[in-house]
Amino acid sequence: MNKSILKSAFGILLLVGLLLIPRYVESPYALHMMILLFLSVAQGQSWNILGGYAGQHSVGHAAYFGVGAYTTMMLMHSKNIVPWVGVWAGVAAVIVVALIIGSICFRLRGPYFVLASIAVAEIMRLSAINLTTLTNGAEGILATELPAFKIGATVVTDFVTKVPFYYIGLFLVLLTIGVTYWVQHSKLGYFFQAIREDQDAAHSLGINIALYKNIALVISAVLTSLAGSFYGIYVGFVDPPTVLGLDVSVQIMLICIIGGMGTLWGPVLGSLILVPLSEALRSNMVTDLLVKIGLVNAESKIGIFLKENLSHAHVLLYGILVVLVILFMPDGLMGFVKKLALRRKREAV
Amino acid sequence: MAVFLQSLISGILIGGVYALIGIGLTLIFGVMRVINFAHGDILMVGMYLTYMIFTLLGIDPFVSVLITFPLMFLFGGFLQKVFINRVLDALAQNQILLTIGLGLIMSNTVMLIFTSDYKILSTSYSSATIKVGGGVSVSTPLLISFLITAAITAALYWFLLKTDTGQAIRATAQDRDAAQLMGINVKRMSIIAFGLGSALAGTAGALISPTYYIFPQVGSVFTLKAFVITVLGGMGSVVGATLGGVLIGITESMSAVYISSGWKDVVVFVLFLLVLLFKPSGLMGKSRT
Repeated sequence: MNKSILKSAFGILLLVGLLLIPRYVESPYALHMMILLFLSVAQGQSWNILGGYAGQHSVGHAAYFGVGAYTTMMLMHSKNIVPWVGVWAGVAAVIVVALIIGSICFRLRGPYFVLASIAVAEIMRLSAINLTTLTNGAEGILATELPAFKIGATVVTDFVTKVPFYYIGLFLVLLTIGVTYWVQHSKLGYFFQAIREDQDAAHSLGINIALYKNIALVISAVLTSLAGSFYGIYVGFVDPPTVLGLDVSVQIMLICIIGGMGTLWGPVLGSLILVPLSEALRSNMVTDLLVKIGLVNAESKIGIFLKENLSHAHVLLYGILVVLVILFMPDGLMGFVKKLALRRKREAV
Repeated sequence: MAVFLQSLISGILIGGVYALIGIGLTLIFGVMRVINFAHGDILMVGMYLTYMIFTLLGIDPFVSVLITFPLMFLFGGFLQKVFINRVLDALAQNQILLTIGLGLIMSNTVMLIFTSDYKILSTSYSSATIKVGGGVSVSTPLLISFLITAAITAALYWFLLKTDTGQAIRATAQDRDAAQLMGINVKRMSIIAFGLGSALAGTAGALISPTYYIFPQVGSVFTLKAFVITVLGGMGSVVGATLGGVLIGITESMSAVYISSGWKDVVVFVLFLLVLLFKPSGLMGKSRT
């Protein structure tokens, strides 16, 4: 009882803190980092519902991310449709795509499902490259001018600073965590987990496998699409490799793998590790640190080499992290921590 | 008609190399039931190895296959012994993720060393062609690589069918536990299978290096192609992968000519989905259990 009160008090405090940050923090860079973090959490949570809870490990989530981002951006760019309307067009498009994908891919299991999900995402990417009249092909769509958001005649925000994006991102995080919590504690979620644990047993208990897999997919895809639209609007640019590439799918999945699949806080933990680490590499912080410690001379060949190349290497870090996590903590960090806690409890008894 | 024949022939020629990639993947899957998502990246390592040997030692890429093959065999054996071996009994998704991770490490390490610039390995015959007659001509490097591929595939069939080790590998693929009971060292067979698979992928990389751009991310295209080929042929079937490779080669070159080169990969993936839907066991595969 006490514990749950403590937990909710902590949650409320954290939320209030997050809501207040833009009031006191003015640095656009800090806000940018927070927005990236929010985006990552939202992506991870979305994947988690299909991959973590329903156990369908899609390696093609870039399809939903990209379709959401592209639809919103295309409508804004060529039809001047405001993004907060375009987002819902994106959601509608993604639902159609997800149902098509679901009806094809869910007939397949295990590795076959993974391969099919990749193939579908690749078809989307190649289509975006080739349908030049719609998507502007490999050049991508650039649309940085956002119209002001008005309710009636009052301007709510004009999107000049990063603050509105911060709140949209935070809203996405709350939404995805909320949906995940609801899935975890509803009958629907139990169906998902039953399918994950043993598909045949779930089937024999009368669970309509195809239906519930598709429901999990649609929920997951819609949330991913929202994240995609948010990304498009925030960055102001989409092109096939950055929103539809295989890397995007892998990255989305990684957030959950590293944090812990099928747990509420796994994607949060995963994002808290991945985002700062890759940012530290990207912005050359690691090289600067090595120079500061005196490990590497900035003028030496190695120093210059690191400075020039380490910033591109954040994906290398993803690779190393995945290998380490799979080999040494296959249930992700959350699973690892839980195991440690369990062991300690046992030792205490 | 000349156009049709032309695209058919170049499809078969490139299909030979695809077959080599597919056989490697199917061999690994057959013996270990692991889908190797790093297959294309292993191929990419083979390409860079060939490039290095060519620029540093001046050895022709088709000759350097003799060096690349054993080196890539050792590399694959190392990967199996250190990484893959630990997840043989793990969940399928963990195996997939591990190989994805290994692939990311390979492509990004190569990127750190060589930067992401496109490298071109140009030989005196890179753009040479041989006229066959009837308005049909064949690219010289493609023809040579096809001949080498055919020789390697023949040798591989001989190895798998006639030698003791080859039979032991096939026995392991059929039933791992039974093979072990019969006194076959299945761990060693796994290492040999992964080594062979990597050597085949690396060789394929060497063979296409005179005609392809060489860059660190080239692997993912080939990983996907390798899957399409093996699924089309039937996971685990070497004959199927050979057929699948040639079929995909022909499909690609035909759709490049008759649809458009931008859409040829889409055609391949759609074909892939259709196979998954209507005949998931593939052309040569037995039904899944």
